[in-house]
Amino acid sequence: MKLTTARICQLIFLALFLILFVQTEYRGRDEINAAVNAFFRADPLVLFSYLLAAKSWNWLLMPAALMTLATLVLGRFFCGWICPLGTILDLLANKSRKGSPIKALKGNFKYWLLLPLLTASLFNINLSGLLDPIAILLRALTFLLYPVLGLAGREGWVGLYRMFGEQRDALTPAYSLIRDNLLPFRDTIYPLAFLSAAILLGIIALERFETRNWCRNICPLGTLLGWLARFSSFSRVSQVLCSDCGKCRDMCPTSFDKNVLYKEECILCMECLQECPHDRISFRPSLKLKGFGPLLPERRVLLGGIAGGLLLSLPIRFRYPEKQSRLLRPPGVRSEDDFLKKCVRCGECMKVCLKNALYPSAYQAGLEGIYTPLVIPRLGYCEYNCTLCGQVCPTGAIPLLPTETKRREVIGKAVFDKNHCLPFARKIDCIVCEEHCPIPEKAIRSRNMQVMGLDGHVRAVKEPYIVEEICNGCGICENVCPLETKAGIEVFAVKNRTPITQVSVGQEASDSYRYN
Amino acid sequence: MLAPTLIKETLATREQSLVAVAEGTDYAVITRKAINAVGGMKRFVKPGDVVVVKPNMGWDRSVELAANTHPLVVRAVVEECLAAGAKKVKVFDNTCNDSRRCYVSSGIESALKGIKGVECKHIETERFKKVTLNGSFLKEWELYDEVLSADVYINVPVAKHHGLSKLTLGLKNIMGIMGGTRGYIHRNLDVALADVNAQVKKHLTIIDATRILTAHGPQGGNIADVKVLNKVIASTDTVAADAYATTLFGMKPSDIPVTVTAYKRGLGEMNLEKIKIVKA
Repeated sequence: MKLTTARICQLIFLALFLILFVQTEYRGRDEINAAVNAFFRADPLVLFSYLLAAKSWNWLLMPAALMTLATLVLGRFFCGWICPLGTILDLLANKSRKGSPIKALKGNFKYWLLLPLLTASLFNINLSGLLDPIAILLRALTFLLYPVLGLAGREGWVGLYRMFGEQRDALTPAYSLIRDNLLPFRDTIYPLAFLSAAILLGIIALERFETRNWCRNICPLGTLLGWLARFSSFSRVSQVLCSDCGKCRDMCPTSFDKNVLYKEECILCMECLQECPHDRISFRPSLKLKGFGPLLPERRVLLGGIAGGLLLSLPIRFRYPEKQSRLLRPPGVRSEDDFLKKCVRCGECMKVCLKNALYPSAYQAGLEGIYTPLVIPRLGYCEYNCTLCGQVCPTGAIPLLPTETKRREVIGKAVFDKNHCLPFARKIDCIVCEEHCPIPEKAIRSRNMQVMGLDGHVRAVKEPYIVEEICNGCGICENVCPLETKAGIEVFAVKNRTPITQVSVGQEASDSYRYN
Repeated sequence: MLAPTLIKETLATREQSLVAVAEGTDYAVITRKAINAVGGMKRFVKPGDVVVVKPNMGWDRSVELAANTHPLVVRAVVEECLAAGAKKVKVFDNTCNDSRRCYVSSGIESALKGIKGVECKHIETERFKKVTLNGSFLKEWELYDEVLSADVYINVPVAKHHGLSKLTLGLKNIMGIMGGTRGYIHRNLDVALADVNAQVKKHLTIIDATRILTAHGPQGGNIADVKVLNKVIASTDTVAADAYATTLFGMKPSDIPVTVTAYKRGLGEMNLEKIKIVKA
């Protein structure tokens, strides 16, 4: 990799991506100023699938609209100048490549991916994030690589404690620097971690067969940008190989194996411009550009792709009903259907979640919901005063809400399991859930009851109950329940997620609750 | 040299328990007054000592909501320790909400920023050590090593209502140095707290009653539940300090099972008529 302007630009954007990734975390302030969501908000694939699925405009995606315009004017520069996954492929490119291009990936393969994705969006299933290159990279980082880094760092630190005990404190300043600026605050293990990393590794492995194999033949974002680039009037001149040299063929990472530079495949890396021994090449606006091939893929592919999207969008919706009772969405998500239209499954909410309450759905939300975020209260609860997930969601699938509003958003409703909950099952005091309930008026309250203990003696026990009207389903009760494995109180999904009111209900109960 | 001091201190605790109560709107001043009225910080902290100051900062609530110890009280205590010659003062709590948010919202982290010799670190779970308690309910439990190895341990709770124990004061603040599944001890809270308190010596207890949470404790969240009292209480006898603080809520020490159990265990005095209460 020679350091040309384009290469430096690539490295800057990759560094920016990684810095923003690490910054997507609570750092002592309620607001996150810059998060890695900037990349998604400038992602035309996210924009197109959102527009098709939600069928409404979203100002959050304005940068993606600008990126679309820029691509229409300049061509497919995103892939050669910005895309962090592309940069990683360039950095890892194996010069001594042995394999030859995979035939199956050639031709219309990429349209067979892009068209069904976009069509499915039209039928309300937004799956584009599954194959979006930035989402693939972010998920591999969030679900596997970053937790592994954190675990290694922390385990090393704990290991020092085991060896040196409190003397380890001498090293605290050095460790704090790493911990506060690089490591995740908490160790989290995510489902789908290996799948997420395997997809990324698979894309890297494809480089063995062809340079930028993923970008040329598969990537739906690249395909979309390439299609937009056909309308651009900025290009390499000339568009064909010179008959006396042909050196470009070896340097070009994408297109020249066909003797002609296809504009939808040229990522404007400008390697040929740098390396041309005869100085014959220039990149400039030109009206005399030749188009290659039809504007739309052949009718067979077009219709087949659309039919594929339709077929995809219906059977994929099957869900097991019993899984739905525990399908808890992040705060502010009121409708499951609406959420599926907008969520790009990028994983940012799960990265930023303060108490690591959010996990990617593996099977809970059916095939259609894979990688969408869900709250697992036993592993982490939704912190009452935190609004981070709404701040980093690039499409507003999780709405950005003021703290005051977010506190009242309903995730689900807590329900006691009296066969497990100690005051009911074993007639002893507990009330840890009530203590932790963050609602100022307390959605979990208790009353003094005279009950027959298991030993046959009558005794006073505080029995908890839920004031459902003011429960927001944050899940802290289920999280802190001191029973092992299964909690005595659990949060269940509800259809009606009308925000709770601040008025206390059941005034009598609330009065008797004072001091007794 | 050591023996006479020990004997003197033993005698002192056998003597009448002393509770100092200071009142005023300058919380740093009243904190110092209360400390001075029980003998001044030099009585507890010797030059070169490592001191643990353990406030209650367990909840993601702002200062005025009275769920955490007031940052000005904590800072005054820390400054007194440093003035007495402490080598290092460690301030921490095993929080209930996310610890980063608790440290920020409580105002304590920022109140201590820039003071030399103070550490306000998050809990590191590997530092909890299994300690044999041989109590009536808890035979052993994980306690924080920084407390176990400190020269001086100063307990700085805020006075609050609590759903299960009615009030949470000095004796219950000890939960912040406990690891493991702390919710477990709720099933026999009074006895468990006495078990731990019997093992961990608190050199000084300073109860923040500048504002108290009268209902929906221990985390509250509604300013209507907060009552401003502008008081700080100090005592070497945690049970006595708790007993006095109970009266601020219009209750009797005998109403609070945690206090009663600790008193019966011989951890301190709860009969108000036997406690010497001085206005500082």
